[in-house]
Amino acid sequence: MKLPHQKYGRKLKTSDYIYNFFATITGLTIFNIQFIKEVFIPPYEISEIKKHMDELGVKTFGIVSITGIILGLVLTMQSQPVMQRFGATDFLPAMVSISVIRELGPVITALIFTGRVSSGIGAELGSMRVTEQIDAMEVSAVNPFKYLVVTRVIATTMILPILTIYVVFIELAGSFFEIVLVESMTLKYFVDSVINAIQFGDFIPGIGKTFVFGFITGLVGCYKGFTAEGGTEGVGRASTTAVVLSSLLILIFDMVLVKISLWLWPTLG
Amino acid sequence: MVMADTRIVEIYNLCKSFGTHKVLDDVSLNVQRGDNLVVFGRSGQGKSVLLKCIIGLMQPDSGKILINGNDVFSLSVKQLNEVRKNIGFLFQSAALYDSMTVRENLSFPLKRHFPDRTQKEIDDKINHTLELVSLSEAIDKMPSELSGGMRKRIGLARSIITDPELMLYDEPTTGLDPITTKEISELIINLQKKLNMTSIVVTHDLVCAKIIADRAIFLREAKVAYEGSIKDLTDSDDKFLKNFFSHEIVKEEE
Repeated sequence: MKLPHQKYGRKLKTSDYIYNFFATITGLTIFNIQFIKEVFIPPYEISEIKKHMDELGVKTFGIVSITGIILGLVLTMQSQPVMQRFGATDFLPAMVSISVIRELGPVITALIFTGRVSSGIGAELGSMRVTEQIDAMEVSAVNPFKYLVVTRVIATTMILPILTIYVVFIELAGSFFEIVLVESMTLKYFVDSVINAIQFGDFIPGIGKTFVFGFITGLVGCYKGFTAEGGTEGVGRASTTAVVLSSLLILIFDMVLVKISLWLWPTLG
Repeated sequence: MVMADTRIVEIYNLCKSFGTHKVLDDVSLNVQRGDNLVVFGRSGQGKSVLLKCIIGLMQPDSGKILINGNDVFSLSVKQLNEVRKNIGFLFQSAALYDSMTVRENLSFPLKRHFPDRTQKEIDDKINHTLELVSLSEAIDKMPSELSGGMRKRIGLARSIITDPELMLYDEPTTGLDPITTKEISELIINLQKKLNMTSIVVTHDLVCAKIIADRAIFLREAKVAYEGSIKDLTDSDDKFLKNFFSHEIVKEEE
């Protein structure tokens, strides 16, 4: 598969940036089509997918846990005085849970996940590319796209929703700790309020979009790594541009998916 | 017809350019079974590209490459992989998989090319191949724990583990000290004899070439400029060859 040439390594003109932008979008689209073509053809490399899911889970578990608990605490700290002013502190659990499930949980987890994972994938595949390990794989009768790209993209797509569900619980736990520090609220009341506040329409789009974010993370990381060129400098570039591009795409797709979910579940608005 | 049976690699009118830079221009070449061919040439003259075209990693602009009579560029991926089963490739950097141990590096091509082999057969083959390159003790090491010479040896072990009939070496001794260079070159020639392989070696290294080669060609300005034995090339009166093979700088006349 030939990908558009990318101009790097010298002072770029505005026209170069425009060219690079469209070249990247075209390249990513071709890469995506290649993924769709390859994903249904055996062998499915299940053991590799499991291995990557394990690794990704272990790599990101700590950081998303810390972020989740802090986010839950801070969100409650910020909201509490406002709710108190309106005498509506009883609604805090409902408000926090809806924000966390609809938007903050999925997006923050995805951004942290992509920062950690797409840069790692970009650097790993990039260094494999420049040290001819990908060529060596091809010589060994292995389709490197399938072995390296398809397995990683599936793994990121599957693991991010699981991580997000976990982070949502952690964020709610953080929120509960903050509430009980200043308010007299029982765990039962908190849990009941959360359950009553959440509808099916909050949960499905919220968690559903993390499949897309996971896919973006894997695809962009793999694309940048797989097409890296120019030695160690190229590896560094693959790693950093993977994070920037995937974070940007996650935010753009979030906007689009929120619009779609409001259209599908009008009561959410 | 008799000739065709002994040819393992046949290259016809191969051309390859990168943008405006022509690296192979109408290159034709035959390698007979059991031959050890060395390809010389200055950096950027298309030596590695030639090897990558032979194994189908790179598509030429035009021309044809036959391996055991199979046209490499008209084969399906499955058929090409069948052809590749009989070809070993030692990359310039050895290209060991960083995330795998030596054992996993060696078992990787075996499991892919011969999925029917049992774990016991695979383990036996790995142990035997590591003995051939005298590195049995490195079996559970990671590539990052190996020296440059050891990496080349493991790379060599990984290339020969499928018992290929044809070996392609891309600068097998680059970056190694003179003693390790001789050791690797001797290892290559010994394996060659023991396993009865044909080889094409791309190198700048005269020491390595003298140990390995039966025949040599010199790529210059994208063409096969000289062909013969190593002695023919090193003893040639041609100023360019003298410049390449001696330590003196000999001025070429236009």
